[in-house]
Amino acid sequence: MTDIQTTETPIAPAGQTAKRTRGEFYRRQSRFPLMLIAPAVIIILVVVAYPMIYSLYLSFTPYNLLRPEKTLVFSVDTMFRNYGKLLGDRIFWRSVGNTVIFLAVTVNLSYFIALGLSQLMALVSRGQGIMRTLLMIPMMFAPVLVGFQFAWFFNATVGLVNNALIALHVIQSPKPWLIDVPSGMISIMIATIWMNIPMLTIILLAGTLSLPREVFEAAEMDGAHAWQKFRHITMPLLRPFTLIALTVLSLDIARAYDIVRIMTGGGPAHRTEMIWTYAGRLATRDSQYGLASAMSMVGVVLGVVFTLYLFRQLIKSRVVY
Amino acid sequence: MKTNRVLWTVLTVLIVTSLMISACGSSATPEPAPAATTAPVATEAPAAPAATEAPAAQPAQPAEAMMGPDGRASYAGLDMDLTGHTIRMANIGGSPYETMYDQIKLFEEKTGAKVETVFLGDGFQIDRYLKENYAAGTVDFDVAWNHTSFMSQYAPFVEDLNQYFTPEELAAFSAPIIKAATIDGALQLIPRHADISALHYRTDLFGDADLQAAFEAEYGYPLAPPTTIEQMQQMAEFFVAQGVVDYGTEFAGKEEALAGRFYELLVANGGNYFDENFEPVFDSDAGKMTAQWMKDLYEAGAIPSDTPNLLWPEVAQNFCDDKVAFYLEWYGWYSYFQDPASCKVAGHFDLARGPVGAAGDIHTGWAGAHAFSIPKAAENKEGAAQLIKFLTSEEIAYEEAARGSLPVRDDVWARIIADAAASDVPLDKTRLELAQLQVGTDFFTPPLFADWISFTNLWYPTLQSIILGDMTVEEGLTEAVDQTRQMMDEAGYYQ
Repeated sequence: MTDIQTTETPIAPAGQTAKRTRGEFYRRQSRFPLMLIAPAVIIILVVVAYPMIYSLYLSFTPYNLLRPEKTLVFSVDTMFRNYGKLLGDRIFWRSVGNTVIFLAVTVNLSYFIALGLSQLMALVSRGQGIMRTLLMIPMMFAPVLVGFQFAWFFNATVGLVNNALIALHVIQSPKPWLIDVPSGMISIMIATIWMNIPMLTIILLAGTLSLPREVFEAAEMDGAHAWQKFRHITMPLLRPFTLIALTVLSLDIARAYDIVRIMTGGGPAHRTEMIWTYAGRLATRDSQYGLASAMSMVGVVLGVVFTLYLFRQLIKSRVVY
Repeated sequence: MKTNRVLWTVLTVLIVTSLMISACGSSATPEPAPAATTAPVATEAPAAPAATEAPAAQPAQPAEAMMGPDGRASYAGLDMDLTGHTIRMANIGGSPYETMYDQIKLFEEKTGAKVETVFLGDGFQIDRYLKENYAAGTVDFDVAWNHTSFMSQYAPFVEDLNQYFTPEELAAFSAPIIKAATIDGALQLIPRHADISALHYRTDLFGDADLQAAFEAEYGYPLAPPTTIEQMQQMAEFFVAQGVVDYGTEFAGKEEALAGRFYELLVANGGNYFDENFEPVFDSDAGKMTAQWMKDLYEAGAIPSDTPNLLWPEVAQNFCDDKVAFYLEWYGWYSYFQDPASCKVAGHFDLARGPVGAAGDIHTGWAGAHAFSIPKAAENKEGAAQLIKFLTSEEIAYEEAARGSLPVRDDVWARIIADAAASDVPLDKTRLELAQLQVGTDFFTPPLFADWISFTNLWYPTLQSIILGDMTVEEGLTEAVDQTRQMMDEAGYYQ
């Protein structure tokens, strides 16, 4: 402690020398954190920034894996051709619409269910630890496995859901859940909600348990009933936690790929196509890397705008409370 | 503090250096490498013995190395000393295919070569792996999987195998397949085994006297395995209406599997996907008839309601479980279907030739052959050729055929038919005779152009829309033809 004080905060003489010493100190101080984060920044540059810049470049070319030499050609005249094609592509707009609907429904339903669960769990005085552990089980599964699991649940021929409903005489013949509209999309939503609720619940539960008891006690003395306390105290105080949870969840769900890919592959007939499944289809199956890169860029821009909006809301909530 | 700063500086420099080295060592994003297609010699590794030097200079192996169990010279590719050579292979994986690779130990033992597998994946995975590596110029394998349906994509990147196989060696293979595998005089692949669809049907249903009487009363002709596409529809709807099966017939309902099945029905109905100038023409009457046929079957409930999510394993499982009366299926499932421990259908099914369509004399016959190729960028082409000769030799092909695959060598056909004649199950032999007939007469590949898979990916979702009723037949076909023409135009087919 003494050493640090001696070396880090020297007692400077008055005048120019003191200013210079202080300047060097601040320069050193500002360089050190930069050095600490440098490895992370470099890794991000190599594995994120470089591929993204290269992908942006590809999006301005007609690059096709089947004709790499002929198609990796940049031309100012045709550089926006891929973007023009996307604007006129019915499937692209359908995938954007599906992604927006999927995002809106899944995030909101996940939130309301998690909010309810967190409030119930906050009331539990015994065994809350075990319940939290059990609740976190879905988080242990990779999304791909969740996709396989729910694909089997909703399988028309051997699926658990159809067999249960037929055994209970609710339906007479198997229903193709993953084929029909809107059950295909709903099936994917159920799988996604199931996977995301634990994380959301844990965050909201932590937030609920950290709220000051005095406010609730004061409200009780004023005669507030449970709903009033929840509506006018819990909800507003939970807002920062809610926004953080929703931001993370929204970004996670907006890049939906694995579960959709496993359960329906974006089909049939593009009925459950999302932005990323369509981009993946264009790139890995159709070999159209140029077009797929353009679509990825559109997805990234939408994601960035969405993130900025959510963070702005988050900052606002901190100012207010 | 000073020591700490130095330490952090050194660490940072080390991390940056290592990242730069790793970034230079392997490209994260594919970039084209002209060397892959124009100067394959430049990629040869100096450490390894040059492929063209060592083998010719080395003494041949003793003659017994080539002998099969019966004393015949049924192995090939063992007559060069490849000691010190490493041959890398990127191949198709999965249980039906991988058993053959066990035989590679014999090749290694007899030639001294070391064989490494750099990639194994299913058909679509290996296709993606090969395309990415060919395009990026990162080929690190000497033997590559190929297939008659996919080969047009790889044509610029693989060697003409006429350079490595003598006419006598090629004469052992089925002539129609070798012909189909030749593009502009260049032999793209050496076939490993073939496949063609035969009509699989349940003998208990077709032999049922009550069903026969009911069918003849309703349709005016006897109930027998369908010989026309029209009969397929009538019988499929009949069996479902009788409540004796879940589904009258079925087909895989997505990806190339759907586009390919449509294709063979289209051809049998007298149509085609493209004309000789690669103009899409499948909005013809034959195209409309074929699409309507699929749509009608779905609407009538004669095929599974989840058809658009089914691929080969799922449709095979339905037949295996006695849920389907008849359908077009590859021969490769035969052993599985005949095993009572695996399948309910064991013992009460038979095979027939694919039906004819509206054209009257064209049978369904969409066929393909799994195969091997040598990339132009391979480092050890002579070693690769030797390995391919071994893997496609009579003995290896015979062992693979004995497990259910259809051979592509005439000598193997003779041996397995002779073996099957001794079987207690007559179908063991008759199926092979039928397969030989089909491979010899009905075999046709998809259109041979590089964008076949891209085309099928563009087309099958629209066909699904037609089947599911999201679009009318006319709307779907018109849209698909327009999109296909645009795709072909951008790919340069009309220049």
